[in-house]
This record gives sequence, structure tokens and C-alpha cells, in this order.
Amino acid sequence: MDSVIQVRDLTKTYKNTSALDGISFDIERNTIYGLLGRNGAGKTTAMSILTAQNFATSGSVRVFGEDPYENPRVLSRLCFVRESQKYPDEATARTAFRSAAMFFPNWDQELCERLIGEFQVPLKTVIKKLSRGQLSAVGVIIGIASRAEITFFDEPYLGLDAVARQIFYDRLLEDYAEHPRTVILSSHLIDEISHLIEHVIVIDGGRIIMDQSAEETRDRATNVVGDAETVDALVAGREVLHRESLGRVASVTFLGTLTPDERRRVEASGLELAPVPLQQLIVRLTQHHQNANDTEGALR
Amino acid sequence: MTTATAAPRPHTNRMLGVVRLQLINTQSLVWVPLLVLAGAVAISLIIIGLIPGDDVKIVGAANAPLWYFVALGVQSMTLAFPFSQAMSVTRREFFVGTLLLGAIAGAMMASIYLVLAGIEALTDGFWMNGRIAYLPYLFESGWVTAWLGYFTATVLLFVVGFWMATIWKRFGTLAVVSISVALGLAITIAIFAITKMEWWVPVITWFADVGALNVTLGGLVLTAVLALGTYATLRRATV
Repeated sequence: MDSVIQVRDLTKTYKNTSALDGISFDIERNTIYGLLGRNGAGKTTAMSILTAQNFATSGSVRVFGEDPYENPRVLSRLCFVRESQKYPDEATARTAFRSAAMFFPNWDQELCERLIGEFQVPLKTVIKKLSRGQLSAVGVIIGIASRAEITFFDEPYLGLDAVARQIFYDRLLEDYAEHPRTVILSSHLIDEISHLIEHVIVIDGGRIIMDQSAEETRDRATNVVGDAETVDALVAGREVLHRESLGRVASVTFLGTLTPDERRRVEASGLELAPVPLQQLIVRLTQHHQNANDTEGALR
Repeated sequence: MTTATAAPRPHTNRMLGVVRLQLINTQSLVWVPLLVLAGAVAISLIIIGLIPGDDVKIVGAANAPLWYFVALGVQSMTLAFPFSQAMSVTRREFFVGTLLLGAIAGAMMASIYLVLAGIEALTDGFWMNGRIAYLPYLFESGWVTAWLGYFTATVLLFVVGFWMATIWKRFGTLAVVSISVALGLAITIAIFAITKMEWWVPVITWFADVGALNVTLGGLVLTAVLALGTYATLRRATV
């Protein structure tokens, strides 16, 4: 394993609220990560601490084996354009790209020009006056063309239409194939990016509730549909994430998979098994995590 | 892989990069101060023309562009800091680059004032015995001292603005207002005390005795102290 980022017991507290609650994880070199979670889960906080834009309350962060804070050796290899990035008042997209070319050692101007054309970013309008989608496109272009060894994308698709989002996914993958690097992509549109990401980290309420490869997530949970009684008998003793029923038919999502033997029996009894799409899995896990938290809170 | 071996650019390039990044705001940083200067000179000339008599007429209006440097210091922080963070610039690089910008701007301003003073000296105060930049006290110890005086005043005011904006970024509006009120009170009380004790004459004689050069050097030390304070505040400031 070749990790470029190591996070241990990272905590961030704002006055009375805790944004990150002792999280630990590693980021491997040349992998695309999905950093997923609800609004306010702590995704942006985590990314801004990793890039030394913000400060940890406690815990340690190592990027390329060093503390990134005030460390130009490390920072010049990172790129993090915020979702709510502020640009100089008088900056146009052109001047913003010129600055990026100055500061990112691997900047590719040709790629930048191509992306400008594809995203149709107006170059002479001041950034303040761009639409939300165009503003996102400026950040996306800086992120891709900087070719930083670790690139963070913080909800990069805000305001982008479906075509522009597809351009983003395609160009990111293309350039990633030619110039492998580590990409950390935070997003709500889980289904849209599920084919891009190789590793999933889910944060909820400042804690990590999932940290596994995209392949492993497929085996994380199973969905079974069929006669309610038969379904309930099958899932008895298993950790149920979600249950829905309509009349005598029930659909239950539970953690884990079935053994080949169980699988045969289930299919023989007329139940249908289905894998759980990533978005479903994360939604159910998050809800499950929050219910568990609420119960825990109530018991305290 | 090529990306892994690419050496980070040397420090100095990134600091100069900050100066260029700051200059994206050309209007605020270059044109507005020049416009304020031109306006102040024009108004001063009119005032000089209106004052009757042949005595030396000193008009203070021309120091307006110097005061604008407080605003400039504020803007150099608020307009550029968030973007510098996205450009993976360290706070130290941002601080040194921004201070460098203040020093360059101060040097240019001081030079413009000296040219203006030269014109005044040659034309006998625009043929009206007026004094806008060619102030007797400042030029008593020579032109180099005068240049340094203008430079120091400009950079000092720039750093005051820079620090204020950094305090605002880090601690919020309440902190800035509290400090401003406290400073305002302190100055008012000082003026009140000097007036009450009838110390104005000794104070003015003291400044005259110490001379423009020493006052300027004192200003430079004060600027350095304020700059250190700014850096200490900036080190933990967030976007």
C-alpha cells in the first residue's frame, strides 16, 4: 500500500458543534476517491484541513509524509478549489487561469484551453458576474488542468447542466488515465459518479461510516423482495438497513451477502435478490447510522 | 511518473507570484490611488489659488492618497487571500508577497511625491508659493529623507489596513470594531490630555528637535512591529 495522505483521530470543533469527530483514514496514491455524505457531514472541513486551509482541533494529518501546514513542498503538489471559492473582485476566468499556471508546476495550458472551449467559459467577463454553472466550470478547469498530484473537487458540479457534468467526468477520466494522480471528489450525486470512483469514504455527522473499495461496496448489502413472511424469516438475525412493504410483498435491504447455499434456497422459495446500488446503500447506511445515533442519544 | 518528481518551485517565485496575483485587482491597486492623487493635487491647486497673499501656503489635501493605503491594505487581504489559498500558497508566502506589494506601491508613491516636490521647488510652488508635497519639515534633512518619509508613511498605513483586515478574517467584525474604538479613544484621550496640559508647544518642539529622519526611522520600526503582528494573526487565519 502506498498512501499519500494519512489522517489519524482528526477532530474539528467549532465552538459547541463538532464537525469532525476523531476520524482516521488513508488515501492511496493514484486512486479516485469519492468522499460522500450529507450536507454538513464534514466533507469540506476534512478537505480544507488536508490542504491546510483550515486547522484541526486535534489529531494528525500527513500528506506525502509531512505536515501540510505552511509547507510549500507539500502544498504545491495539491489543488483544492472550494465549492464557494472566492476570486479577486476584478478577476476574469482568463486572469484566474493565468494565476493557476503560475502556481501549479504541472499546469497544462493546452488542456486548459480545450476545457474552456468545452465548458464555454466566457473569458472576458469578471468572475463575479458569471452564472453558478460557469463559476463551477472555472474551478473544475483549474482542478483538471493543474494536474496536481492530489486534486480535491468539492461538489464540482453545482449549477453545471447534464452535458457539462458529463464533460467533466469524461475529461477527468481521460486525463487521469494519461496522467495518473490522486483525486478526491466530494459529491451528492452518488449514482452519477459511482462508475468513476474506485474507493468510497462516507462521512456522516463527523464520523466515517464507510471506507472501502467500490468493489467491496457491492458486497456490503443485499436487497431481497418477495412474500413478506418468507422475507422476514430470511432476514431474521441480520442487520436490516431498510424495510418497505406493500400488502404481502416486502422489500428488505440488509447488511452482508448470502452464502451460495442460502442463495439457492432463497431463489427456490420465489424471492428475488438484487444488488444494492451505491446511492441506495449510502442513503440506507446513513439513515441507519443516524437512527442508531438517535437511539444511543436517547439511552444516554 | 513525471508529476511525482516535479520539484516545487522555489519560494521566491511563489512570493513574486503573490504580487502578480494581487495586481489582478489593477483598478483598486493602481488606478484608484492615482486618481485620488490627481484629484487631491487638483483640489490643492485650487485652494492655493484661492488663498490670498504671498506667504508660503501649505495644503494638506495631498496626503489623501496616503490614507487610501489603509483601504489598499484591507483589500490586499480580503480580495486576494481566499484565492491565494486555492492556489496552494502558504500564509507566509502570501504575507511576504503582499508586504512586497505594499513596499513597491509605497516606493512608487514616494517617487511621485518627490517629482511633485521637484516641480514645486522649480516653479516656486506653482508660481503661487504653494506647498503640496514639498513640505519644509520633511525636506529639511534632504531629499533622501523626504523620500523615505513618504515611503514609510505609505507602507505604515498599508500595514495598518492589512492587519485590520487580517484581524477581521480571523476574529470577525466585533474584534475589528473593538480595536478601532479602543484606538480612537486612546488617540482622543491623548489629544485631550495634551491640550489640557498645554503640551502642544513642547510636543511640536520635540518633533522639530528630533528631526524628520528620526521620526521616519521610528515609523519604520513601528511598521515592522505592526507587520510582525499581522503575520502572527495571519498564521492562523482561515478563508
